[in-house]
Amino acid sequence: MYRISSYSSSSSSIFIRRLLFIASFVGAIFFVPLHAMAHQAPYTAVFLDVSPDRVGAEFQIPLTELELAFGHHITADPGTLLERLGPQLKAYLLLHTHTYKNKALPWAVNITNMVMSKEQQIASGPPFWELRVNVMLVPRQNEDTRRFMLAYDGVVHQVINHVIFVAVRNDWETGRSDSLTSRSDPMTIRIGSDNKVHPLEINIEKGNLWSGVKNMVGLGMEHIKTGTDHLLFLLVLLLPSTLVVKSKRWAEFGGVKYSLKRLLKIVTAFTVGHSLTLLLGATGVFVPPSQIIEVLIAVSILVSAIHALTPIFPGKEYYVSGGFGLIHGMAFASVLYNMQLYGKILILSILGFNIGIEMMQLFIVALVVPWLILLSRGKHYSIIRVTGAIVAIIASVAWIIERISGRPNVVSTNLQPIFDQGIWFIIGLACIAVISFLYQKRRRHAFI
Amino acid sequence: MLANAKNWSNLPVSLASRNGLEFSSLSSTQLAAALAVIKASAGTGYSMEGYEKFQTIRAADDYLGTMQSGYGSGNYFIAFLGTPSATGNWMLQYGGHHYAANIMFNGGTMVSITPLHEGVEPHTGFTVNSVTYTNPLTNNVTGMQNMLGSLSSTELSTAKISGTFSDCLMIPGSTTNTMPTVKQGIQVSTLSATAQATVLAAMQPWINDVDSTQAATIRAVYKNELADTYVCYASNTSAVAGTPSSFLTAATDYVRIDGPSVWIELCCQNGIVIQNQIHYHTVMRDHSRDYLGL
Repeated sequence: MYRISSYSSSSSSIFIRRLLFIASFVGAIFFVPLHAMAHQAPYTAVFLDVSPDRVGAEFQIPLTELELAFGHHITADPGTLLERLGPQLKAYLLLHTHTYKNKALPWAVNITNMVMSKEQQIASGPPFWELRVNVMLVPRQNEDTRRFMLAYDGVVHQVINHVIFVAVRNDWETGRSDSLTSRSDPMTIRIGSDNKVHPLEINIEKGNLWSGVKNMVGLGMEHIKTGTDHLLFLLVLLLPSTLVVKSKRWAEFGGVKYSLKRLLKIVTAFTVGHSLTLLLGATGVFVPPSQIIEVLIAVSILVSAIHALTPIFPGKEYYVSGGFGLIHGMAFASVLYNMQLYGKILILSILGFNIGIEMMQLFIVALVVPWLILLSRGKHYSIIRVTGAIVAIIASVAWIIERISGRPNVVSTNLQPIFDQGIWFIIGLACIAVISFLYQKRRRHAFI
Repeated sequence: MLANAKNWSNLPVSLASRNGLEFSSLSSTQLAAALAVIKASAGTGYSMEGYEKFQTIRAADDYLGTMQSGYGSGNYFIAFLGTPSATGNWMLQYGGHHYAANIMFNGGTMVSITPLHEGVEPHTGFTVNSVTYTNPLTNNVTGMQNMLGSLSSTELSTAKISGTFSDCLMIPGSTTNTMPTVKQGIQVSTLSATAQATVLAAMQPWINDVDSTQAATIRAVYKNELADTYVCYASNTSAVAGTPSSFLTAATDYVRIDGPSVWIELCCQNGIVIQNQIHYHTVMRDHSRDYLGL
């Protein structure tokens, strides 16, 4: 039930955001360099994932502060803490976590996961440990989750100067998503002017099912739009799709009908693949470690890029795109899984999210394919195909290294801003296509 | 301007930027001029207080800098908020990692000397650049120890608050960070005359960190309000009643003086750069004078 986590890039970015936030809290900061993190972050962060029928909460509690309230010298050997004192910690947290609309009718509180998270400080000094706890808060029948009291006083019941920052990380109905940054104005739980700790009222604007599904569609679209790796995979896979193979090499344009048929099959196979794992992952049936998935996604780009250079699996693109679809789907699933959704809401979310992914994917295919068809008729298409494949190979290798080592490298950091301008790439492609089309037409006219 | 005024911190400069000019960016002439302003404001009337304390706290950062990057006497700042004048309202800020002075002037007189943050690591004396220093907060710590040591065991149990402090309560920043209106601990008027005198004496090492003539009014206010002032403390588990040196010796040992106006707290924390020993954080505030006029 308990596991020691080795966190990947997503949680380290949370840590950086957190440090930024803490530093800015202390001083209304305009500029915070990220070096020299000599001081530990002594605050608790509580993130709320609000869905219509329940509220997921994630507590991130610094161990040095927790020790002052919980005792047991827990900072001495944090690595084995959950094996030794898991049940006691769970009991402690349950004692200090209550939610209700009506104090006499408290909500059900269940701890669903506890992990120890170790962040290496960049500056010298001891590693920074925190306990991360996922809690599920379930309202009474006929009660909604828009307005309730959060009576959580972990650590702060004992450590008088301790501060708990609370942010609504996900709100399913309205799409609200607060982060703990220098610009956010988070809610706090801390000692009041009467020297007592009071419950915090969470009061979120009303939304509805329809706006919730719409948000999920938007989230799906956003995920493809900003997910450079998914986009690059798709584009590289499409790059040779209009060509026929002759003597184990990419040869000439296979015709419009041939191209469209192949494109349709590739895109459909990818969709079937990622829909399947999205369903399995979001429902929690199969949740592989995110780091492995991220590495495999980069590998999928590398393989398709090599295939764009020289056909390594001609005629079997559907299996490959379907297979890699399975992997990309697992990454999509982690987005939903982390929102802690259940039942009807989860099904609606998977549906909406997948529709969003599909819409964005088709939009991009529609944006790129006409130019690919135009260009691949020409003799010089191989220049574009090979250039595109080489860029993708460089990027994917850089990502593989980054995702295995957990550290950004020169290539990956410099490529990102270029990829962020992806729309210019498509416009450029369109311009080249139109110019070369007109040029060829004129030459044909000249011969007549 | 209030938002700017609240931009002070107890974090290393690399984590929390300060207002104004950084000492390390100044020429030697400019630095001398900046230090002259601070010297005039902090005063030189008391040994180990005022300007001397400011300079020793800076030296302690040089000492930490020999062990870990990011610390040093050059990482200190001076800032003027508003236009300095002999008639108008303006504010002088100076400090860095373990020092933050926020001084309001009106009509050429100091009207507020708070918030004031002072801290030091290590908790002992130290030698850096071939100069040996006594710990700059010696008077502050000793004053508080004498105050707690003057209380009987019954008075101590009244003064004790049950929670734990990992730092001072009135940490910098945040507008939600307001002082408790309900005072905790033991009221000074219930103490013996000797003990009452130790409370007044314990406040002086903070008040003495600004020019004594300028601080006279504020000093008088705190003295007049002494009877309605409260003393409380937390942790100090190894303390023995009547033995001053047994107080404020371990991490989380905490003491507070909370009056109608004055608020002073001192907390022993675990070492940050030097592990396995404590270091001191202190904050002085004023219930009605912080950022006065802002």
